[in-house]
Amino acid sequence: MSISFVTNLILAAIRMAVPLLFIALAELYSERAGMVNIGLEGLATVGALAGFMLTYLTGNTWLGILCGALAGILINMIYAYATVTLCANHTVYGMAINLLAPALASFIYRVYFGEGSSLMQITLMQGIGIPVLKDIPFLGTLLFNQTPMVYLAVALVIFTGIFFGKSKAGLNYKAVGEYPKAAATLGIPVIRTKYLSCVICGALAGIGGAYLTTCYSTTYTEGIVSGRGFIALAAVIFGRWTGGGVLLACLFFGFCDALQIRLQVLNIGIPYQFFQMIPYVATILVLTVVGSRKAGPQANGKPYRKEER
Amino acid sequence: MEKLRKSLTTFLVPLLSILLAFLIGAIIMAGLGANPLTAMYALFKGAFGTSASVGTTLNKAVPLIFTSLCACFAYKCGVYNLGGEGQFLMGATTGFCVVHCLGLTGLPGILAALVTGTIAGGIWGMLPGILKITRGLNEMIISIMLNYVATLFMGVIYTSWIRDANMPQTPSVDDSLKLGRVISDMRFTWALIIALAVGLILYYFLYWTSSGFKLRAVGLNMTASRFNGFPVKRYILISFIVSGAIAGLGGASDLLGTQYRLINGYGSGYGFDGVAIALIGQLHPIATIIVAIFFAALRVGSTSMQVSTGVPTSVSDIIQALVIVFSVAGMALTKLPEFEAFRLRLFSKKGKEEVNA
Amino acid sequence: MMKKALSVLLALTMALGLAACGSSSSSSTEEASSAETEEATVEEGEEASESDSAATYKVAFILNSSINDGGWGTACYSELVAACDANPDWEMSYTDSLSQDGYYDAMVAYCNEGFDLVYAPGGEYTDAVLQVAEEYPDVAFALLNGSEDTPADAVNGNVTSLLPDAEQIGWIAGALAGLMSETGTIAFIGGMELTTTLQKYTGFCEAASYVAEQEGNTITALDAVYANSYDDSSKGIEFANAMIEQGADVFFGDASAVDSGARQAIDEYNTAQGEVTVYDIAQPADYLGQNECIIGSQVTDNSSLIALCFTAIEEGTFGGEVLYGNLQNGVLYAGELSDLVPEDVQEKYADYIQQMIDETFMQ
Repeated sequence: MSISFVTNLILAAIRMAVPLLFIALAELYSERAGMVNIGLEGLATVGALAGFMLTYLTGNTWLGILCGALAGILINMIYAYATVTLCANHTVYGMAINLLAPALASFIYRVYFGEGSSLMQITLMQGIGIPVLKDIPFLGTLLFNQTPMVYLAVALVIFTGIFFGKSKAGLNYKAVGEYPKAAATLGIPVIRTKYLSCVICGALAGIGGAYLTTCYSTTYTEGIVSGRGFIALAAVIFGRWTGGGVLLACLFFGFCDALQIRLQVLNIGIPYQFFQMIPYVATILVLTVVGSRKAGPQANGKPYRKEER
Repeated sequence: MEKLRKSLTTFLVPLLSILLAFLIGAIIMAGLGANPLTAMYALFKGAFGTSASVGTTLNKAVPLIFTSLCACFAYKCGVYNLGGEGQFLMGATTGFCVVHCLGLTGLPGILAALVTGTIAGGIWGMLPGILKITRGLNEMIISIMLNYVATLFMGVIYTSWIRDANMPQTPSVDDSLKLGRVISDMRFTWALIIALAVGLILYYFLYWTSSGFKLRAVGLNMTASRFNGFPVKRYILISFIVSGAIAGLGGASDLLGTQYRLINGYGSGYGFDGVAIALIGQLHPIATIIVAIFFAALRVGSTSMQVSTGVPTSVSDIIQALVIVFSVAGMALTKLPEFEAFRLRLFSKKGKEEVNA
Repeated sequence: MMKKALSVLLALTMALGLAACGSSSSSSTEEASSAETEEATVEEGEEASESDSAATYKVAFILNSSINDGGWGTACYSELVAACDANPDWEMSYTDSLSQDGYYDAMVAYCNEGFDLVYAPGGEYTDAVLQVAEEYPDVAFALLNGSEDTPADAVNGNVTSLLPDAEQIGWIAGALAGLMSETGTIAFIGGMELTTTLQKYTGFCEAASYVAEQEGNTITALDAVYANSYDDSSKGIEFANAMIEQGADVFFGDASAVDSGARQAIDEYNTAQGEVTVYDIAQPADYLGQNECIIGSQVTDNSSLIALCFTAIEEGTFGGEVLYGNLQNGVLYAGELSDLVPEDVQEKYADYIQQMIDETFMQ
């Protein structure tokens, strides 16, 4: 257990936590307005593709991130229209997005890059070290020598905490997820807030996907999101619908994943699938111990019909 | 008459939505230089063209019927079981391990596999149920997590513990355990009959017994049921166990009917398909079975459509997804109050015209 | 209702847009053009002379990953394309991204379309191939990396196994690893625990140890790790990082897109060090130049084996065979080496490869 082993383990945990964090924050904003969206996997996939293609075309990773966000919003509007306006079942619609979006992404990639094309690679976003701070031993490399997206993610967590905890707008937003009918009588635009939540959700999930292809892996492959959309769902519950909680949950999952990989490399003679179970089993165990009674928005996943007031 | 009209619309709207999905698919196809009519013909022919293809379609429907009935039963009680896939896999895995390790053959082996598979599925379904009623945990998340655990557990079995010599897969089950075909030139086996029987039993239970009525009442309004003195928690737990058991039985039947061995990728997506099917089937067991067969036909047919037109595989995936996107949206539309008003206006106008004529 | 109509309109526009961008580039792809040609021959017989590919035989390719995965899928697809280019009587179609329960359906669909040969690149298709081969005795099936017994298991004798020698694959990479490793630690990242993957790993370790011993060094091979995926490149990144920490400096793998992640992590490590000290050996095609860290490739070119199947079908002798692919018949070979491999090491490596061909390696 050398110090470099620990540093590298934590670095890997952060690397794996960041894309998860964006996707989980997407879900947090969605569920706070009562919209359970399990289509994150699909949203992140189109985000990853859009981010990759734009970066490939322009060489600018920021444009890639932006385009990833736009693609996520665009796809999530299908979900928004069906679930908010038509009051369709959230779960099924999320799943439909999970089927549609990756197929769409695969189709676009195929049409654009051609069949059986050689591996396309892009240059990733460069890390920015914060002067002075980054030279602090141990902590410096961990916290102050990351890509701007990592700082952005942390800023977003802080913003989320303040928004939902302190601001009037945040309270109104939360009211939509808790008691939509009461919120409506108070003059809060319920439908508009729900649409807004879908825009934010699409954008953040798209950014999470784009992060994978612009800051993490130099290539786009089908299945690059590989289950992060579902882990993110767990992270929101694990984090008890707060920004800080979600951050901790994502770090925990990232840590489990990083540890899983290292345990496999050190080989201790146990089938590797058991290591891969760690994040899932840990989630279940922690949730069991902590419990989540009465946490989370009251009207989560319930359709809202104006006429029933 | 009014009831007939109502059911007519609930039937027509999904149908129109599906047609719309195919229309978009046809446009994409035309854009790629393939003839949409040939494509649609190939789709239909691939799914229903010959008795063999009907057999394939029905066989493909078997796991979907089980997982959709699993979802259907849980939703009837108002709980979301997204763990159909995990329960299905635990059923298949347990059924396989029991017959393999005990060396059972013939009818006793088949029964052992089906019974243990059902029990294993029930236990796997019980876990989120217990956690929900005791710890108040969200059953959707727990059941999704358990899907991953089940898939990985099956992975341990076929890569390490019971591995076929050559491949990361288990050996095949004994020939005497394989379920026979019902009609010799059609691919479906007795597993389909089991699936249909489960559907009919569910229908009878839910709509013709008082326990079934109470279970539906819990599903419709949990708070009211609690005030009426229904043991809501017990109903929730039972619905989870039964729902898991259905999926587990499905896993074991599909293993003996089609799959014969555990292998990488087995069962992937069945659980979510089941949820979508159950909801499109309006949570009615019989309708659910019909929708499951439609889904299977869509799967089989779109493969042959892709093959005969040569469009990228993702196009057939897009069309399949669009069918869900549009049919679910269409169904939701019919439930909107605005739509109800529109429908009434439409029909009343027609009614007046009839009178005038 | 306006909103509904609007949404439909939007969806249609989107689909149209997609279709438009599809049509603009589809003519450049081989698949679409061959489909068009086929249509032309059926519908307008007199114009058939225009089409240069007067293909009389059709081969179908099924795949559970994507043909754009930049690894296994792409390599297998390209091999078949190459085989068809070399044999103008043959044209191909493919179905990729299949789920496990879709193998059977896709193959049946191709059989119903009158295809002559179905090519399934992997042992995981064995059950489905045997099932369809039983139902369609007139169609030929070529199974890559199945087992030696598979052709005998086919009741109609219409299945041929293509078996590239996995041990030799491991040797080709292992010899280079043994020569190039400075730290004496080598690493292997697998996708799934396939038997062929295990054999490649064993061959890789054996050859590396043997070669290093000849040079007076010792080699420790880290245990093989499995990403349990062929497309999650981030797994490759993390595995490579963890293995570099353990001192590994030559990597080999068998995991498609996961490999590309590993190479990316190795490149990043080398950049941070300021010099290239950790290497990767690519497979199954020659990927020299794709990443800085690639010092050589182990190449598996099954197109000659596929061509043998073509000939057998044309002559009506297809079936029941096991076609082995090895260094001797040119299916396996070592790709170009990078400049990072010193001149004298290149010569030594060529010697070892020659020994493998002469079957004197490790004797």
